[in-house]
Amino acid sequence: MSQSLRPYLTAVRYSLEAALTLSNFSSLEVERHNRPEVEVPNTSAELLLQPMHISRNENEQVLIEPSVNSVRVSIKVKQADEIEHILVHKFTRFLEHSAESFYVLRRTAMPGYSISFLITNKHTESMKTGKLVDFIIEFMEEVDKEISEIKLFLNARARFVAEAYLGEFVY
Amino acid sequence: MSVSHHDKSVVAAFKLVKAPIYSHCYSNDKSLLAITCDTNCLVYRLQGPNSQPKLVATLADHDKTVTAVDISVHGRIVTCSQDRNAYVWEPLSDGTYRATLVLLRINRAATAVCWAPSGYKFAVGSSARIIAVCYYEQENNWWVSKHIRKPIKSTVNCLSWHENGVLLASGGTDGYMRVFSGFIKGLDSKDIMTGSPWGDKFPFGSLVKEWYQGSYIHDVEWRSNIEKVGYVSHDGCLSVADSQGQVQTVDAPEGLPYRSLLWINDHEILCGGYSCHPVMFTEGTGAWKFSQSLDQVNKGAPAASHFAGDNDEDDENPTFGMSALRKFKELDLKGKVTAHEQESAHENAIVQLRTFAESNGQVTQVSSCGLDGKIVIYSV
Amino acid sequence: MDNWRRIDIDAFDPESGRLSAQDLIPPNETVVTLQELQPKISQLRSLASSGSMDSAVKLATSDPPYGADNSTKATYFQAVLEALTQVRQSDIANIIQQLSSEQQDVLVKYLYKGMSVPEGQKQGGILLAWFEKLTQKAGVNPIVRYLSDRRTI
Repeated sequence: MSQSLRPYLTAVRYSLEAALTLSNFSSLEVERHNRPEVEVPNTSAELLLQPMHISRNENEQVLIEPSVNSVRVSIKVKQADEIEHILVHKFTRFLEHSAESFYVLRRTAMPGYSISFLITNKHTESMKTGKLVDFIIEFMEEVDKEISEIKLFLNARARFVAEAYLGEFVY
Repeated sequence: MSVSHHDKSVVAAFKLVKAPIYSHCYSNDKSLLAITCDTNCLVYRLQGPNSQPKLVATLADHDKTVTAVDISVHGRIVTCSQDRNAYVWEPLSDGTYRATLVLLRINRAATAVCWAPSGYKFAVGSSARIIAVCYYEQENNWWVSKHIRKPIKSTVNCLSWHENGVLLASGGTDGYMRVFSGFIKGLDSKDIMTGSPWGDKFPFGSLVKEWYQGSYIHDVEWRSNIEKVGYVSHDGCLSVADSQGQVQTVDAPEGLPYRSLLWINDHEILCGGYSCHPVMFTEGTGAWKFSQSLDQVNKGAPAASHFAGDNDEDDENPTFGMSALRKFKELDLKGKVTAHEQESAHENAIVQLRTFAESNGQVTQVSSCGLDGKIVIYSV
Repeated sequence: MDNWRRIDIDAFDPESGRLSAQDLIPPNETVVTLQELQPKISQLRSLASSGSMDSAVKLATSDPPYGADNSTKATYFQAVLEALTQVRQSDIANIIQQLSSEQQDVLVKYLYKGMSVPEGQKQGGILLAWFEKLTQKAGVNPIVRYLSDRRTI
């Protein structure tokens, strides 16, 4: 697996490194406001930079949307079957509920993706950019592992339940 | 503050505040240092390279992030902020400052401010797609402004006055570097512009020349004696333009964009930005090229390791035993090892470079401020 | 009109000064039509099918049709994507060595665009291999330039 995972993560790393060059930028439209331009609908076009799609296959993708003062990173986590689909949904929803303690986590994912991050100039000013990139990369590695672990655990439970239930019919 | 563990080009490094410093400026004799910090402007007295500067005044009239600060030849401090205002701070004999509000007449954030060399007027850039050129009106006891509007299409990021106090270079998020005329009747004399290669007539607000770069212009600076203007942009380029409309461009060796530039002499420019250390460019025969990096982390920092080309992973940092296994795993999973600690004097992006010492038109020491709340002085 | 509350009224204000994507198109862009581009596309296809991949990639990344309409760009993009995905993994590094810095910038655009459409995502492995070799050669530079480049393919 790692043979093709490495180029995928390398691409995400380089793309993030380039995108996380943010400035403090006050809104052009609303006076005395300072908002993440990537989240503003109908913002002035020059404030958004070119979006970057990185995909390993149809099921594993990252979309990085940079702007002058914020970057939105959306990740589609691998979902091979129905169970993984449910698990990913439950897992990311659990994280989103505690988004406050993750700082860069967006409360809802972008449509079509499992989880989204929103990094603003406030974050790059108070944290090291390299560490932010490391965090996203590490998250991408860990989430796959986590999901397969939960799946194994679930299967084991299912087997145990099935055995216990079917045991009723054994004489 | 000890700086022995840094590169030899670092003369002094001061960690002043726990917030990003967007702009800093020194008084004429380099005894006072003004920095932006959140909604305030802090004024420090310097006490040599080895001891921390002493806070002497807090200029606190703004109620939103202060974006820029500049000190005139007469010692007046001007600050501007995202609260749409600018203040001129007049130094009083007891060491305090008296604030005068400037009538900017803009309805969005003020983003950049720059005193003209004479110290009798200054320019303020804003998100309202306006540059306000401000001067003192004796009869009203008031700083008033005149607006330059056309053809600015987006936020103005940076401003720089020519030595003659008439030509004003500006750059912004609309991707154009423009030279305007900031000629104020009664304040500037027309004689100073005779024989200028930039044109014959300079009515206030007229566009003298513009260059399309396409990406955000982060900083612009004149080199008046050779009639050239340098600027850095978000695509990682340093460009130098002249009065003929010619422009020479050179790429950042590490790729990441620069936020600021400073002319060292007629043929050398120092840039600083997201790579956290200054980089020197030199004009060779007809073209600008990279010459050296100051205070660069020798090994391992992510941006630095790439540009050396395809460095074979196994010949950097040979490690053995268990750590080799771990390293192999890391290489395999993450693609690159980046667990290195940043060791350059600035731990985050450099946002502004200023002259600290110069002799005979050659800058010898440069001061920088960064998002990490530090002021670092380099010798070049 | 049932969603009138959601109308963006600022867009109707001529004084708003807001720029649209149209306003960002660089000055002096030359318009290219599909007829003008057709010979280049067929040349690209024939180079790719005859196996001279290095010439094919060099041709694909020189003077891309920035000034064309969307359908023309899509036709050209299909041909480029086919060429890129036909290259053997072991040849990629060698081809990238021969590209100029401008050609690398164009290549990055096609790689990101390739990975944004289903046909390219099926070939994600090979596009990522291109990407990896490119960053090994040129570092983060072409990506930084890609971010701010308003000339789209």
